[in-house]
Amino acid sequence: MLALTIANVKMLARNRQAAFWALFFPLLLVIVFGLIDVRGVGSGSLYVLDQAENEPSQRLQESLAAVELLELESGPYSEAEARRLVDEGDLDYLVIIPRDFAQAESDSPAAVTLQYQSRNEERNQLVDGLVRSRVADALDGLPQAPLSQLVISDVTQVSEGDYFDHVLMGLIGLGVMANSIISIAVRVSAYRNQAILKRLLVTPLPIWKYFFGEVTAHLAVAAVQVAIIMLVGVFVFGANIHGNVAWIFLIALLGSLVFLNIGFILSAWANSPAAASGMGNAIALPMMFFAGTFFSTASLPWVLPYAAQVLPLTPMLDALREVAIDSRQLWDVWPQLGVLGLWTLFTAVIAGRVFKFG
Amino acid sequence: MLNAVMEEAVQVEGLVKRFGPVTAVDGVSFAVKRGEVFGILGPNGAGKTTTLEIIEGLQKPDQGKVTVLGMDILSKPAQVKARIGVQLQSSAYHDYLTLKEILSLFGSFYPQRLAPGDLLEQVGLADRADSRVNQLSGGQKQRFTVAASLVNSPELVILDEPTTGLDPQARRNLWELVRSIHSRGVTVVLTTHYMEEAEALCDRLAIMDHGRLVAVDAPKKLISQLQATYTVKLVVASPLTDAQLALLNGDGEVVHLTEANSYLLRLRNTPKALGAMLDELARSDISLDHLEVTPVTLEDVFLELTGNELRD
Repeated sequence: MLALTIANVKMLARNRQAAFWALFFPLLLVIVFGLIDVRGVGSGSLYVLDQAENEPSQRLQESLAAVELLELESGPYSEAEARRLVDEGDLDYLVIIPRDFAQAESDSPAAVTLQYQSRNEERNQLVDGLVRSRVADALDGLPQAPLSQLVISDVTQVSEGDYFDHVLMGLIGLGVMANSIISIAVRVSAYRNQAILKRLLVTPLPIWKYFFGEVTAHLAVAAVQVAIIMLVGVFVFGANIHGNVAWIFLIALLGSLVFLNIGFILSAWANSPAAASGMGNAIALPMMFFAGTFFSTASLPWVLPYAAQVLPLTPMLDALREVAIDSRQLWDVWPQLGVLGLWTLFTAVIAGRVFKFG
Repeated sequence: MLNAVMEEAVQVEGLVKRFGPVTAVDGVSFAVKRGEVFGILGPNGAGKTTTLEIIEGLQKPDQGKVTVLGMDILSKPAQVKARIGVQLQSSAYHDYLTLKEILSLFGSFYPQRLAPGDLLEQVGLADRADSRVNQLSGGQKQRFTVAASLVNSPELVILDEPTTGLDPQARRNLWELVRSIHSRGVTVVLTTHYMEEAEALCDRLAIMDHGRLVAVDAPKKLISQLQATYTVKLVVASPLTDAQLALLNGDGEVVHLTEANSYLLRLRNTPKALGAMLDELARSDISLDHLEVTPVTLEDVFLELTGNELRD
């Protein structure tokens, strides 16, 4: 039963060029993204909840809106809504100006609240300092409390997670996808051209065992690929993986199944291994961009953001990132796993229909 | 009745296979006895490979019935495949496995299997056990594919053009291999388009052309069916008249070959007719470019039966 799997793993490992590039391509991107400084301070979104609605609060709001680092959200949100947005990571900064802001008669001036998540420490420090100085400016000429009492920082502690961590999961998805699709498509079309598939058909080997052997061998290779990308990302470039590593492997392997099926489908259409390789790239590369491997797809025009949602790589990357960055459990990402499961079934049915031995 | 069936390794009845407008196999029937070497001889495109692929279960016939080792190939393909060995024409093996590994992989597909080392020993490749297929010579490659067809210790081995493309030495090595397989009681079915190979190896021979069987018999019997015992090939400077040919030929038969001024004479009652012909040639003013006298071979049988020369 496992003889075919073991033989396939041997062949995949001994085809040194193919094995090298399968591992090296995503690793190269890890190195590129690890070396360029993607951790620079980006702008953050800000919502100002003005409960005072007086002249100084108006001044403060205007001065904050002028800060280039911050993009003002229009709202309006209630305090509870706004706080929830910050907690869920959909809003970066929340400034709450209290009702008695800049009221000269109050004994201890009510402080402005600044709420944010602990992630992105550099930007947090900048924003914290900026808000304090703008509050001080807005209170200019009014009785002043010590600067430290003017603003209360309300920091929600979350696990570290930066752009590189985000991209690292993208590269795991990319590596598994590209290798699964292209390796299967090329191998199977070569086997068909050389009549190796035909040779297998004159043995009593049941067909499902042939597929089982190919799929399990490629899953083993995908697992090695995921391990190497994570090891290099974490130990060489200091990425952080917060979630359960076992879940990351499981999600990657489920994704790999979908892409192996796609590889089988392409092998049926390709007349030569070279054509299979070209087709594999034509599927893998656009999917890489549209599924948000490197950049968010929210800003794509027209229906493309919605189209991106139905690609199989998208739920795979979502699930990987939620587990790795937000420490979610496998059962928390069941919608993404469900979509991947449907893709697996759908592609398996198509592959079963179109696959040709001769 | 059961005994009669079991004496036959392969029984083919009324086989028809069409590919679109082309009828590749057109009503073929024959039986292969257990323990014999049975050859199918014919030019490329005669339908030999298609016939074998139907016997192997790779293709479904449009009409007809095939029984292999007493089992219907359509209803019991897995059981048949477990007990036969097949060498396909132009099939390759995995690039990244050694010979030994390929044989143990293929062995794992069968309920019973032979040790890879013994198989390689049998085909004279014991010292290449750790080589890859692409490191072998053409003859070694072909012997290896025969070894791979023996991996399950089959009762019937089917070899599709096992010597095509081999040099004469490698071809003779392969003949020895087929004889040694045969000597162990294994039934062998092979195709070839080489006359001398069919004559040297086969106990019985089916001659196939344009999808039909034109004769089935032992090679010697097929040859003795021809009344002629010698053929003479004549190439002359200018065309011969019918009268001249009749004088040379006696009561034999004349075939006009496609090359200009070339004739094939099938002489009867040789060697007397041969002497008469040579006398006639000496008396006449025929200017002779080439003269060739050969005993009748399968080539002539094929020519007689199909009206064509066997194209290589």
